[in-house]
Amino acid sequence: METRTLLLELHCEEIPARFLGPLAEEMREALASWAEGERLGRPRIRLLFSPRKLAWIAEGLPAGQEDKDEVLVGPPQRLCVDQAGKPTQTGLKFAAKCGVDFSVLRFELPAGRKEACAVAALTRKGRPTVELLSEALPRLIAGLHVPKAMRWGESGFEFVRPIRSILCLFGGDVVPFAVDGVASSNATWGHRLYHRRHAGPVTVRTPTDYESALEAAGVVASFEKRRESLGEQLEKLAAEAGGRPVRDEDLLSTLALIVEFPRLVRGAFPADFLNLPKEVLVTSLKEHQKSFCVEDDGGNLLPCFLAAANRSDDPAGFVVSGNEWVLKARLYDARFFFAEDGKTKLADRVEKLSALTFQRDLGSYLEKTRRIETVMSAVAPGLGLDPASALMAASLAKADLMTLMVGEFPELQGVMGGEYLKREGAPEAVWKAVKEHYRPVSAEGPLPSTPLGCLLAMADKLDTVVGCFSVGLIPTGSKDPLALRRAGAGIVRILWESGWSLDPMDLCRAAIGAVGTKAKAPEADTLAALESFFRDRVAYQLETAGFAGPVRRAALPAGWRDLADLKARCTALAVFAEDARFASLAQGAKRIGNILKDESPSPDFDAKILTQAEEKALATRLATLENATDHSAMLAALADLAQPLEEFFNAVMVKCEDPRLRAARLSLLFRLRRTFLRMADFSLWQ
Amino acid sequence: MSEKKPVFQVQELFLRLQRYWADQGCLIGQPYDIEKGAGTMNPLTFFGALGPRPWNVAYVEPSRRPGDGRYGENPFRVYKHLQFQVVLKPSPAKVQDLYIDSLEAMGIDLAKHDLRFEEDNWESPTLGAWGVGWQVMLDGMEISQFTYFQQVGGLDCRPVAAELTYGIERICMFLSGIENMFDLIWGEVKTDRGLFPVTYRTVRHREEFELSAYSFEHAGLDLHWRLFTDFEKEGWRLAKDHGHYLSAYEQALKMSHTFNVLDARGAVSTTERPGIIKRVRDLACACAKLYVEHEFAPAEGEAR
Repeated sequence: METRTLLLELHCEEIPARFLGPLAEEMREALASWAEGERLGRPRIRLLFSPRKLAWIAEGLPAGQEDKDEVLVGPPQRLCVDQAGKPTQTGLKFAAKCGVDFSVLRFELPAGRKEACAVAALTRKGRPTVELLSEALPRLIAGLHVPKAMRWGESGFEFVRPIRSILCLFGGDVVPFAVDGVASSNATWGHRLYHRRHAGPVTVRTPTDYESALEAAGVVASFEKRRESLGEQLEKLAAEAGGRPVRDEDLLSTLALIVEFPRLVRGAFPADFLNLPKEVLVTSLKEHQKSFCVEDDGGNLLPCFLAAANRSDDPAGFVVSGNEWVLKARLYDARFFFAEDGKTKLADRVEKLSALTFQRDLGSYLEKTRRIETVMSAVAPGLGLDPASALMAASLAKADLMTLMVGEFPELQGVMGGEYLKREGAPEAVWKAVKEHYRPVSAEGPLPSTPLGCLLAMADKLDTVVGCFSVGLIPTGSKDPLALRRAGAGIVRILWESGWSLDPMDLCRAAIGAVGTKAKAPEADTLAALESFFRDRVAYQLETAGFAGPVRRAALPAGWRDLADLKARCTALAVFAEDARFASLAQGAKRIGNILKDESPSPDFDAKILTQAEEKALATRLATLENATDHSAMLAALADLAQPLEEFFNAVMVKCEDPRLRAARLSLLFRLRRTFLRMADFSLWQ
Repeated sequence: MSEKKPVFQVQELFLRLQRYWADQGCLIGQPYDIEKGAGTMNPLTFFGALGPRPWNVAYVEPSRRPGDGRYGENPFRVYKHLQFQVVLKPSPAKVQDLYIDSLEAMGIDLAKHDLRFEEDNWESPTLGAWGVGWQVMLDGMEISQFTYFQQVGGLDCRPVAAELTYGIERICMFLSGIENMFDLIWGEVKTDRGLFPVTYRTVRHREEFELSAYSFEHAGLDLHWRLFTDFEKEGWRLAKDHGHYLSAYEQALKMSHTFNVLDARGAVSTTERPGIIKRVRDLACACAKLYVEHEFAPAEGEAR
């Protein structure tokens, strides 16, 4: 059947950036499922959205449903026809119900019936798609899930923002319907600036004309196009200023969601604001003005910024001068906060943390600080870190939560503490540790750059995780409101990358000690929950570190609490990830496991008892394996073991009659397994 | 707005806004003579947004925010600023266009500026009120708050009112290209000897200085804690014993300002704060309920 393209556009008052994409996606899915349910196939649907528009273009929808053949089964033949062969009342009734003449009915034995029945073969006429759309679209639109719905005017209708017009075309025809009193048409509205010169709405003839019609009216309907354009301008304008943009992909996306026409402008701010820490400038520009900073090759900021405008030009220069004016006011504020904060030493703010609640059951940030101190003092000496610096960093870590700057920009926590300490003349190791102790902020984000920073970051997160577990706040399923999994992953990543041989469970015990009587759950329960939690985090770490499935599965059960060792084993194993000999070894390991399942052989045996060449060869290999001193030597020996092991199982009957021989063979296998379990459980390799 | 930026007078701006909104069918109201943090707290808005009666009103409201005081030393931030407040109930279909035309009426030529409506949902925990809407950005500066009220005083708004709030000083500074609020011209005084421009500094600077000092240093803590409790008692007495929602609401406003002073003095801990705000909200919500019962239920036209 002939197919056509559907265009639906909801023209609204400005829709919040964060809802645009999800709403567009949800409607795409709803529309596609609906079409499928109506036997219209599953159309390919493009999404177009801008602050005032949500639009969908569905291609390849048939102009109508196909006719559908149906067979209706009626009463038995004997009830429909009398002895004279004439139709009965019952027979006529059935024909009428089917909308056909009695003469059209057939009599046959339908599946599942015991006698012949009246049967009507009908063709249900397919309905035109336009009609189906008219009925369905109001329902689909009203059914969209809006996280923060609103009402407006006198209506009780709820949506993300008021709907002001609806454009809906199927091919060249308007699909007639209405939502909350707004009727669909073939017209929409362009950019507000465009309509200063053009009074009427923009008419769209066919769905394929939609984007170009809007572009002529000042609106780029495609999010991707706007984002791409902004990205190009970002590089170009920064280069013109002699630098490069401090890129921020989230900010770029946000900007593409809040303009209908993508344009970046470059403005300047007074160079003396460059005295402020770089992070303060970047954050202030981003959070307050949705603007980008520009930096030179050395990473030093230039006194200029790039901001978005929702129009193609800046005819009077007001867009640039306006943004400059506001930015100056913002930076003035930042400087005020910085100067005010600088009047009080960070150390003098620590006691004030008692007024700031960390978590109801775990007390204030001052109490958290004391716990971090305990853990730091316990762990630092073993890592060769200066205990005095460790204690100082711990006690000052949270003090910046009481500063004006962090009050204004919560994401600068840590950073400001570090900056203020640096200006107070604190030791570099201390201010850097404080500055970076919230790292890693994201899964791939950088770790603290110093050992003390890594330790502080770990101790802080450890207190959060262990503290919460101790009072029963354990993440389940998709519920992890306190982001404990992220904190746990941070701890594991720090251990992983620092190369410290610290057992996470020893650390947990130290942290539980610091939580002390605030704990609500029995210590054993908490530890058990933590053990399973950290094991999962370690598994995740192996995955992000790029180790293949066999390596991860086999290495983890052989021990995960010494991460440095685990890492070395995985690295060595990874070389063999594709090695066919290891696949064979895995089979052997499984067989060993099965054979030893109900046995408890002695680890000692006399090799001389062994009789067959294959088992003697295996015993020789065992000696090589047991003497291997490093992982790669051992793995090389293991790889060479595959063949002899296979031959062994082919030739040797382990559980033989002779008890001495049988014991020796079991012991041989036991020793083999014990040896390679130091490395990995190869039975899980596949 | 012409290419050469004229010096915008503060009084000219709100005169133009009043004229414009009066022409659009708004009552022109007056500021309510009790200290308050925002124009929304004026009974013209708080009660006007409730119930079914159509209600358009516009007025200037001086808004006191003790914590924002800067002793008159900060060019952008002050203890007290002027809000111009418009409430339209029910919100008209062309409310955004009406708002945009008001910018033109102020003298902003939108052909030359960048205008955006960015999500900013409004919430007033002290009034039990919230709404959704935008901050309106002109060339990157927030010049207005635009809110569709969903609830006020804990009650659903049906129909929904749109609230537009303009920051007078900021718009004035922006349009004049002036970098210090205190350099704004309030208006001109005409005498037999000629015209004398009067600055914002002359009119307001001493007030900023003294009230900042009061908020941060001199306000008596014992007095303010006592006042807070007394206003609360008085408010509940008026509401419960007499069903008087307006005089009780005045007590809630006084509680709110007293709280703001205590907060600026650093006398309210973060843990105490939600509880104290709730005490104000409870009274405000009780007033809203009394108002609706009195005005609209059960039978319209009964003795009021």
